[in-house]
Amino acid sequence: MKRLVTSLALAASLTAFSATGVLAAADAAGGPSSDDLLKSATNTEAVLTYGMGPQAQRFSPLTDLTADTVKKLVPVWSFSFGGEKQRGQEAQPIVYDGTIYVTGSYSRLYAVDARTGHKKWEYNHRLPDGIMPCCDVVNRGAAIYKDKIYFATLDARLVALNRETGKVVWNKKLQEYKEGYSNTAAPLIIDGKIITGNSGGEFGVIGMVEARDAETGELVWQRPTIEGNVGTLNGKDSTVTGKTNASWPGDMYKTGGGATWLGGTYDPETKTLFFGTGNPAPWNSHLRPGDNLYTSSTLAINPDNGEIKWHYQTTPHDGWDFDGVNEFVSFDLKKDGKVIKAGGKADRNGFFYVIDRTNGKLINASPFVTKITWAKGIDIETGRPIYIDDNRPGAPATADAHDAKGKSVFAAPAFLGAKNWMPMAYNPQTELFYVPANEWGMDIWNEPITYKKGAAYLGAGFTIKPLYDDYIGALRAVDPKTGKIVWEYKNPAPLWGGVLTTAGNLVFTGTPEGYLKAFDAKSGQEVWKFQTGSGVVGSPVTWKMDGEQYVAVVSGWGGAVPLWGGDVAKLVKDINQGGSLWVFKLPKA
Amino acid sequence: MRYALRHMGIAGAVLAVAAPALAASSPSDPLKSVMWDILRDQYFDGAPVVFDTAVKVTAPAAAEDTRAVPLSVDATALERVVEMVAIADLNPFPLVLRYHPGNAAPYIATRIKIQQATAVRGAARTADGVWHVSGVLVDAAGGGCSAPPASYAQKDWADHVGEVQARLWPAGEDGVARLRLRIRHPNDTGLVDGIPAYFVETLQVDAQTPGGSPTLARIDSLEPVSENPVYSLDIRPPPDATALILRGRDNQGGEIRATIPMPLPDAKPAISLKPVGQPWSVGQ
Repeated sequence: MKRLVTSLALAASLTAFSATGVLAAADAAGGPSSDDLLKSATNTEAVLTYGMGPQAQRFSPLTDLTADTVKKLVPVWSFSFGGEKQRGQEAQPIVYDGTIYVTGSYSRLYAVDARTGHKKWEYNHRLPDGIMPCCDVVNRGAAIYKDKIYFATLDARLVALNRETGKVVWNKKLQEYKEGYSNTAAPLIIDGKIITGNSGGEFGVIGMVEARDAETGELVWQRPTIEGNVGTLNGKDSTVTGKTNASWPGDMYKTGGGATWLGGTYDPETKTLFFGTGNPAPWNSHLRPGDNLYTSSTLAINPDNGEIKWHYQTTPHDGWDFDGVNEFVSFDLKKDGKVIKAGGKADRNGFFYVIDRTNGKLINASPFVTKITWAKGIDIETGRPIYIDDNRPGAPATADAHDAKGKSVFAAPAFLGAKNWMPMAYNPQTELFYVPANEWGMDIWNEPITYKKGAAYLGAGFTIKPLYDDYIGALRAVDPKTGKIVWEYKNPAPLWGGVLTTAGNLVFTGTPEGYLKAFDAKSGQEVWKFQTGSGVVGSPVTWKMDGEQYVAVVSGWGGAVPLWGGDVAKLVKDINQGGSLWVFKLPKA
Repeated sequence: MRYALRHMGIAGAVLAVAAPALAASSPSDPLKSVMWDILRDQYFDGAPVVFDTAVKVTAPAAAEDTRAVPLSVDATALERVVEMVAIADLNPFPLVLRYHPGNAAPYIATRIKIQQATAVRGAARTADGVWHVSGVLVDAAGGGCSAPPASYAQKDWADHVGEVQARLWPAGEDGVARLRLRIRHPNDTGLVDGIPAYFVETLQVDAQTPGGSPTLARIDSLEPVSENPVYSLDIRPPPDATALILRGRDNQGGEIRATIPMPLPDAKPAISLKPVGQPWSVGQ
């Protein structure tokens, strides 16, 4: 850690000599309250939460930047993350009180002056050699609350730092990294509790949602996502998740997967947490007959005690690695003259789901990619997919014989998903979702497998293939009322970055080719772009400072595509790596 | 001793006048280190400073291993020592540690990294606010602070980080007992490319007694202390102590905790490392 003694001393002397300075400094030192975090979606002066609001709509009410004025958006400064650790940069910056808090690859956290790009401090987490992140050494962002800033690390720890000094306040082990656990998602802070999920879905771990006291880091409750496992509340066993062996055979629920690796969202209106769960383990579905609850699902959870209110399983008995982790975004669905408390989810399996967020009942589900081979559609009455049985990879031979693999199938979407982790945005003015989608399929087959702690628990082989010659990525505007695609932007490389939308009728997202791009939110017309020097796979944010609208995004190519992308990895192998934070503004006229 | 007393007299006189005059009249460094003026202002913060051979600093004349140079600072010849520091002048991080002996004897020994040949100092602050400074020159080949630690080559360092080996010897007639601590920790300085700063920051020894758990001594440890840091202290456990509790933390929030049993009744006191003939006076 590097300390900045001089500016601290300066801050101290300012508070001592100026009466108004004392007040301002006291407010700033107090930091964002629980209430500030709940109302963060409408706060245009700061970016206090991952998702730009607990509902994660990634919508800003700012209107300075429009399809016209965006042409004058210019870079202000760029900050390098330094070192040789230039891997995927998937973070969303947090902006508060003139400081940007941003995480980098390899579990690094930076505090940077938002006006100048001057580094205030850096925390560089010492990682053991044996960490096992499945899909690059990324981090998706920090959480701010009162005087602290928090982030999770690749060795499955949660670190709380003083946000002024960068000094560690506490550092708690979330899970055992040697068993395959890691953590890459941004934590969520609700009513003084810091809520996290876990990673490690490829290693047969048990998915978990956990709440800790944000002041002390002490555990409040745990909710395992796989039925048959027991939760805890205030240090005691609470309730069993689901009903033991209702949808899992034998002991398999003990290594059932369902990792909550993308974290969650929160709806203040219904006081509900929404956490998506990952694929069941192992990948070979023939070993685990049943629905395998609650894998590949969205769970609605009571933030006070960790009890499950409802669940919706997008891919029951998954056989294609269709994680259900993708974010569930609460929004008001205006349909037939009514306002329905709904939520939207663009699943890896290719369907866009609109769900009643008060009870988990399906309202509609429609494809948001051109090709889905594993299901004909989703039955609106039952909420279940209408499977195409032939498209399930076959069972492997039972013997340990050489080449015992089962029947290979070509399935679409690929296991990296019609949409992967990269968060979509919802614009309440256009009433459209903006979904970063990818068009790809895969050959997939099953192989014999046994579980070993800390080893990959797949039982499958696979290779990804693009569906079209001219594009893989597609940013699509989805109308949740009809499921129709209103417009699309096609991108040669797969899209892997988050989306931002604004009341100025704009949509921002990054591309692996290195651009941050802006689109007209109604027409989809590209209205601005800027080359950042490396692939953009982070999530852009916007805020207002000193009367000017700012935009920030991280640049640095990486993530799962170059590691797992098969044929696609070849297409992107010439993209240079990087690691920097870019800040833009619309200068005053 | 006479040399020291003379300078103490000066320091006392200065103390009565305004603080800024101190720096100007501060005695010149017997070790003639180019860093002295800067380090004095940085670590003694305007307090009166005297060079005093009553503080015994023991370190080898030439370092065999620049990543682990034994160093002891013994201020037991002074009365009422409240704080001690160790400094290696030409290290990128000169301050090695600060020791708050409480009611322990003002003695601490450890092993440190040395970046190049340097003056190595020990200082003790007495209750009157005066820093008593002494030191030796240690010759060394370069690189002790910026070479990767040996643990970097071991894949399993993370399995053992924070583990404690400790031994407490029985107290002598003066009630002083030798405590030796060894903590598994890479103690990375942050100067090695690609390895973040990661070192033991605080350590505290408490006694477990029926009436509570008084703190016996406290160390603020820093980057220059060697990998797998070792500390020897001369503490005074209360007679009714049932065990000692070691609590500590590294700069990344990693916790260190150990319970150290009291020595067996028939164990012999540790062999003293103190020079023979030195008056054995312990400050209170």
